[in-house]
Amino acid sequence: MRIVALDSVAERLRLKRGQGVAEARAMHPQIDVLPADPAADKAFLSALADWCDRYTPLVAYAGVDGLALDITGCTHLHGGEKALLDDVLSRLFQLGVEARGAIAASPGLAWALSRFSSARFSDDNVIEAGEEAAALGPLPVTALRLPETLTDTLIRLGLTHVADLMEAPRAALARRFGPLVFLRLDQALGHDDEPLSPRRPVAELSVERRLLSPVSGEDDILGLALQLATGLKTKLEERGEGGRQFELLLFRVDGKVFRLLAGTSSPVRDPKRIAALYKERLAAVHDDLDAGYGFEILRLCVLKVEPITSIQDDFSGRPDQSRALADFTDRVIARFGEDVLSIVVLAASHIPERAASLQPAGNVVVPAAKMLQAEEWPIVPVRPLRLLTHPERVEVPAADVPDGAPERFFWRRTAYRVARAEGPERIAAEWWIDGEDAPTRDYFRIEDETGRRFWMFRNGLFQRERMHPDWFMHGIFA
Amino acid sequence: MAENAVPRETVLALRDAIARLERDRPSGSCRPTFETEGERAGFSASARSLGGQDVAGQCRAKQYRIEQGGQDDVLPLGVPDLDHAMSGGLPLKGLSEIRVAETRDVGAATGFTLGLAALYQTRRKALGELGPILWISETMAGKEAGEPYGVGLSLLGIDLRAALFSRPRNLQQALWIAEAALGFSVFSAVILEIRGNPARLGLPESRRLQLRSVASGVPIFLLRQAGEEESSSAHLRLLVRPAPAAPFMLPDGTMLSTGIGHPAFHVVAEKTRAFSPVDAYLEWSSHARRFYPLDPVAVPLPANAADPVPVLSTSVGRQGGTPAVGRVVAFKRAS
Repeated sequence: MRIVALDSVAERLRLKRGQGVAEARAMHPQIDVLPADPAADKAFLSALADWCDRYTPLVAYAGVDGLALDITGCTHLHGGEKALLDDVLSRLFQLGVEARGAIAASPGLAWALSRFSSARFSDDNVIEAGEEAAALGPLPVTALRLPETLTDTLIRLGLTHVADLMEAPRAALARRFGPLVFLRLDQALGHDDEPLSPRRPVAELSVERRLLSPVSGEDDILGLALQLATGLKTKLEERGEGGRQFELLLFRVDGKVFRLLAGTSSPVRDPKRIAALYKERLAAVHDDLDAGYGFEILRLCVLKVEPITSIQDDFSGRPDQSRALADFTDRVIARFGEDVLSIVVLAASHIPERAASLQPAGNVVVPAAKMLQAEEWPIVPVRPLRLLTHPERVEVPAADVPDGAPERFFWRRTAYRVARAEGPERIAAEWWIDGEDAPTRDYFRIEDETGRRFWMFRNGLFQRERMHPDWFMHGIFA
Repeated sequence: MAENAVPRETVLALRDAIARLERDRPSGSCRPTFETEGERAGFSASARSLGGQDVAGQCRAKQYRIEQGGQDDVLPLGVPDLDHAMSGGLPLKGLSEIRVAETRDVGAATGFTLGLAALYQTRRKALGELGPILWISETMAGKEAGEPYGVGLSLLGIDLRAALFSRPRNLQQALWIAEAALGFSVFSAVILEIRGNPARLGLPESRRLQLRSVASGVPIFLLRQAGEEESSSAHLRLLVRPAPAAPFMLPDGTMLSTGIGHPAFHVVAEKTRAFSPVDAYLEWSSHARRFYPLDPVAVPLPANAADPVPVLSTSVGRQGGTPAVGRVVAFKRAS
């Protein structure tokens, strides 16, 4: 067992990463050893990243033990760079997290400073423009994010500090160690670009509200959501757009962040409709939303926008039909999820179960967009009203061979006698999907003595494809 | 069971008085099944004071109204017997229940209910509206009886562009969606499909649905699979049974006796304003998008019916052949 991570107390005891646990225990019997759990670390880091969303929407992972925040344009909201860094570190300290931080013009330099700077106060880790070389020079080469083998070689050659590399002739070193060394150096100094990849896409628009005293009641949250939505309205109107997808972020006092997504079937900017969506969402997640000691920040983001055409109500006084329908679908979907409402989508296939399917209605703007209409159907065969999800096996004691209808059958443990039958309608398998040896189906429309009408098929041609083909119940007619 | 003659007479007199009070009501609010044409004419003259107009004439008038696009407060079905029992036609708002006794009969009930929905949709479209239909189906109902099949629905005459299907996970969600839908008057009809007689859909819930439906003017149909009759707030309860379809008619007018014609239903109006249950055979024409009365006698027997002996020997020890256990006793009607 080896040490993979240390806290600051252990570092002061001069323990090292990669050291054996037995050796460390021999040196300092009082140390605590916990087994490493990378999955839990990852989850914790992700929760911290959520928490950091309060400072900037651009939060990226920096390795497995760090976060990079792009605070361009955000600092004035928090009283400057130094105040921001102080705020982050002190809040994290209060949450029980020992964190180090630095602010620099490039992610590489900030990474190096936060890990290797010997500054006592975090204020010294805020690097102004032009001081990059001076700040980076005294740091060890390990601060350059190079592979371990490469770092070891550099240290063995006596290039222990970054300043040594800066002074050394570039061409010879690049020939010896490859381009990575100077790429990292240039990135840290800001000569080369290094993009951050944020965890989440940046919202198109967002409005937030910081509260002095946390709220926990559902009504309070809804009231604030309505206020935030009202704040969004003017912005959306300026852009001539409406939101299709919204996200309400609730920052809990103890650092947990809840995200409530809500989608609409048509672009929306009416604050009341947005708030109504969240009324349903909150009711749906009621049990999962643990308010604890309350929420201190609420933020409403618009993730997806679409152009909206201004609609003026007419004088008839009747509410607009498609708008009312969109309103209904949005409310139901916000409450119960996308799968709960569907529309029929027809497809060009002769296989009955492929010809029509129920698709979520949320994505389709009502009235339905492009879809195959029944009038465009090449033939108009007889089709049942209800189709069993899986065809059910039917026991047929006697049927005309080779391609006649059954005379009696047993379905769901009940006997039926066939009074009339229409068929067969022969539907060959789609070999390009099902394979070449998929059986042909012979469909019969069958009426029993009482007048129940069923749709049954023989799976496979008698003796040509199957010796004794099975029968299946597939649908029910009116 | 013999009744006391005097109270019976009193009851009849009271009913007569009620019928006179409701004279403006266009139809036979109270009409038992008649035996002869004379009795029918006599009753209608006394109870509804039609003033010499006979029932056939009234039927003709109704037929005319159907073709003209219906009345103001009811939607005539086009089947005189049922229209009489339902006070002129289907109510334009409110809760109506349609039930089938067994799951395997559900095809007939589905077809009948969708036929009704298509009637409502046609009416709304005539007013220049989209008139979507919402079909809410409890998960178990769909699993047992099959999911709605788009091609078949389209062939029945439903406009798929104006049809929404909902598959909630449980009855509570289904009721929520139904109530929410009744809050929007865009829908031309809402169908709520459930299985059996769940305790969670009792009198208070059906009353809520009824009130909401009346307030918004959207009719709601409770399609009950394999359910008993139970008291609810629905003004109308119909039992649908499968019925043999008429023979298929060829374009030249000849009947193809082995072919299966339009969907046919046997509808029993269990709960109406009429005295006693009324039943009628009807068929749905998807081309004309309306119901037609069907004469059950006209259905020819299958070709092999002349030979009553089964082609194959009857099976032994199968469930289909077991006689029913117990005996039928007279329970009080639920409503």
